[in-house]
Parts: sequence; structure tokens; C-alpha cells
Amino acid sequence: MSGEKVGPSEVLPRAGLVVSEKGNLTEVLCKPKILPLKSITLQKLEEMEARLASLSKQQQQDQRDGSV
Amino acid sequence: MSVLEKGLNSVWLAQSRFRRRRFDDCIEICTKNLEVNPYDQAVWYLKCRALTLKNWIDDTEIEEQGLGDVLLDEHQTAQVARPGTSLARPGTGAQGGMSPAVRPMTSSGRPVTGFARPGTSSRTVSRVKPGMLPWRAPVVLSMGPVNHFQQWPWHLCRFVRLGTASILSEPGGPFINSEKVDIRKYVARPALTRALCDYMIYVDHNMRRALELCALATQAHNFEDWWWKSRLGKCYYHLGLMRDAERQFRSCLKNQEMVTPILELCKVLLRLDMPSAAIEQYNSALQAHPSDSSLLLGLARCHDELGDSEKALQFYKAVLYHEASNVEAIACLAAHHFYTDQPEVALRYYRRLLQMGVSNTELWTNLGLCCFYASQYDMCLGSFERALQLADDSTLADVWYNLSQVAIGIGDLNLAYQCLRCACAIDPSHVEATNNLGVLEHRSGGEEQARAYFSAGQASEGCSYEPYFNGALLSFKLGDLQEAFNQVTKSLELFPEHHESLELRKQLKAHFTML
Repeated sequence: MSGEKVGPSEVLPRAGLVVSEKGNLTEVLCKPKILPLKSITLQKLEEMEARLASLSKQQQQDQRDGSV
Repeated sequence: MSVLEKGLNSVWLAQSRFRRRRFDDCIEICTKNLEVNPYDQAVWYLKCRALTLKNWIDDTEIEEQGLGDVLLDEHQTAQVARPGTSLARPGTGAQGGMSPAVRPMTSSGRPVTGFARPGTSSRTVSRVKPGMLPWRAPVVLSMGPVNHFQQWPWHLCRFVRLGTASILSEPGGPFINSEKVDIRKYVARPALTRALCDYMIYVDHNMRRALELCALATQAHNFEDWWWKSRLGKCYYHLGLMRDAERQFRSCLKNQEMVTPILELCKVLLRLDMPSAAIEQYNSALQAHPSDSSLLLGLARCHDELGDSEKALQFYKAVLYHEASNVEAIACLAAHHFYTDQPEVALRYYRRLLQMGVSNTELWTNLGLCCFYASQYDMCLGSFERALQLADDSTLADVWYNLSQVAIGIGDLNLAYQCLRCACAIDPSHVEATNNLGVLEHRSGGEEQARAYFSAGQASEGCSYEPYFNGALLSFKLGDLQEAFNQVTKSLELFPEHHESLELRKQLKAHFTML
């Protein structure tokens, strides 16, 4: 036996040495959008505003009919 | 009137209708009775209450701010507030808030939440530019009895319009003409005065006159009645006199500790942009009313608005502990779980809402999205179909947009393209849809078309960085370096930590130094 010490030899992989690889820049898509649920108050407000809109339309219609 | 009802006392019948919340029927009976005897105080009271409750809206959660309020804000104390102390600078206080790369932003620069209240979309950040469209600009309608319109603060305009609506819809003109009522006569009759005051506030929306009434009534009660002080505060709030409103609510709380004035006081503090004071107020009130869900909810909203979603989450959970069917808390928790990569949990919350009887476009869309990302494909398209059936013009574009996300997910780009075209046709200012359409167009080789879509997305003045980054990338690839640099700078203004924008800017700088 010679006095030489034989240690385990290193095994280096041939590929994949670069752990993180920078990808090319690509376009970004916007993300899916969870729609907020409306509160009861908001629903009631919108309902009242819709009623106002229809009333004003009706009034204008009546005025037009009256002028004709 | 049926045979049975003919034999009944009409006032009793009106009372019964009132208790069953059939206000229109009650008002009709009262009107007939008042025609016979205009001085019947019981009937007058009943009609007044019925009209008030018919037009009543929960104003503890309303924080309407028009553009005029934002631009001409005279309560502002500091131009640049310290981090974490102002609602105008969300996300500066807490670390680890939601990144815009994960969670989309609303048009006012806040992460989307799961719940919309009046005011959630109008609260603005410091990105108001001159010439920018007001989100809810009041429309001046030159009609009806309300013509003292211009002198009101902007946020009141919506209520003035509603007042006009409620008065116009009454046949035979308004029930009570607030301007002509002899207030002093009423102050001597406490029960009628309260009904009259609520009528002025909720039906007529004539805050100036209501204020006069409240001031006289408070005086008549030796400044000791909490109810009148809270109404006085409400009138001041609506007239835009925040400091006076704050004083009234504080004095009201000294007389009697009630939850509603606390909520209104916090609303005033939030309007004055003092969220820390509001949080303190909520916390001290919670010691007196430990299980009150509206206080917990207010606290959660406050933290949410400051961008501290972790704390907000704790309070939303606390709300559900005390009130298991609170729609707002469930919806906000669901949205949070969806954006933190737990669509399965979000699905459970939305299913709970469905079981509770909520069924609208928004819920079905969210269910569809959650089903898709939780790999429950069988329910996904069915949910979207229901959402489309229920949708009206204001939500249809968003439903098509989300459906396009599913289509992109399964690789059906043709379907995605069609969905996005639908979304853009319904709402041409839909930033996300135009941006994604641009990306799809670019991938299929239509560079000019893509550029047009990106610039349309940028012109919509949203707070999303995507159209700017994509526009910059496209210009970079086409060799227009200066344009690319301008756009990437804008993208970084909206989202300073965006890694890819930083990378692109680095590459651009390298190119410039080479030149």
C-alpha cells in the first residue's frame, strides 16, 4: 500500500451549472379581476339613481310631446 | 281594496302596512286620509315615517367624495403626510402589502377588494391630475324644485339629486315643503320634530334647513340630548363642515355612548384624512362594545384603505366570529385568499355566500374564476354562463374579461381574443382588456395593432403599469429607444419594484451609454 490517499473524485455535471438563468423579457398580461360584491346601500343608491334617470327621461318626453 | 280591508280602520291598516315595510301602500292610505283631515297628526306622523324609511339609506358607510372635494380640500393639514398616516398614501405604512404584479389595482390606485361600498371607488390618491375625469362627477340636471344646487359641496350633489328624485316621484308635489315649515312651532312637539328632522335629511336632503331645526331642538333640550347632537353632526358633515361635525359627535358621545355616532365620528375623521385617530377611536369604542361587528368592520376597512391587508384580515375574521353571515367580511376574505394563491379557500367562501342567497353577476364570475384556478373545471364555464345571463352593462365587460383569462389558461387563444373584443366593445376604456388584447395581437405578429391597443390602454388613465411596460417593450424591440425609455419610466412610477421594468431600463441605459 502506498502512502497516497485516494479521495473520492469530483463529479461535475455537464449542464445546469447556471442555477438561475435570466429569461428574455416578455409582455405581461393583466391578472384576473375578482369583482367586488356591491353593498346593499350601493345597490339601493343605484336603484334610486336609475329611477331618477327614467323620471327625467319621461319628463323630457312629456315636455316634447306638450310642445308638439 | 279587498272586501276584508273595507271594514278595517284605515289608520290601523296603514300602521300594519308600515310594520310590514309595505311603505308605498302605507303612504297611499295616509294620503287619502290626509285629504279628508289634513290636521290628523297620527296620520301625518305615519306618512312622514313611511316616506323616510322608503328613502332611507345607511349613511354610516357612505364616503362620497367628488372631484371638487379632492381638489379644493381645505381640511388638508400636510401636503406630504408622514408614511402610514394618510389615506392619500396607501401602502406606505405597512410592509408586505399586495404587489400590483399579483393583485390588480382599481382606477384609484388601491388593490381591488372583495366588496364595493359607496365611496370605495371614489376615494382618491395623490394621482389626481388636472383634466382627469371625475369618477362620479355629478350631472347638473336643470329640473325640479331643487335649484340651489351650485352652492353645495360636491359630495352632497348625489344626495341632492336623490332628493330631487324622491320629491319628483311623489304625486301632487312634496309632502312637506321644508323651506316653508314653521320650525319653531314644531320644536315644542318632540315626537313630530324627530320625524320631521329625519324627513328633511333622508327624503328632502335639505341639510341647511335640517341644521336650523336641529340647532333649535338641541337648545330646547338644554344641550343634553344625544340624538339631536348626532343629527346636528350629520347635517354639518353633509354641509362639509367637518370640524363642527366632529365637535358635535364628540359631545354626543359624552352624553350617551352609542355605536352609530362613533361610526359617524370615524367617518368624519377619515374624511379629514386622520386614519390613525379613527383607528384609535374604534379601538376605544371596542372596549365598551367588544362584540360589535360594525366597529370591527370599520376597523378592518380602515386598515384595508391604509394598505395593511394583514391586519385588515384579522379584523374581517373577528367580524365573522361574531356575525357568521356578514357578506362584506366573507367577500373580502375570499378576495384575499384568491390573490394569495388559495383559490380553493376562496371558493368555499363564495359558496357560503351562494348558500346565503346572494346571487348576482359578480358572485358567479368570482365563482367561475375560483373554480378554474382550483381545477374544478366542470363548474367553471357554467358559472360564467350564469354571470353573463345576469350581467348588465356596467359589469358585462368585466365578465368577458375574466372569461378571456380562462380561455388564455386553457390555451384557446381564439376564444380569448373574441372575449376580449367583446369586453372592449362594451367598455372601450377597459384598461386590462385592451392591454391583454395588445399582448395577444403582438404574439400573433400584429405589431402596429398591438401598439395601438397599448396606447389606448395608457390613455385610459388607469393605475395599471402593464400597458406602459408592454408599450415600452414593444418600442424597444422595434428600436424606438427614446419612446421605450419614456414608457418604462411611467411604468416604474406606477410600480417602482417591478423587476422586469427595472431590467428593461437597465438595458436601455446600457444602449444609451454605448451611443
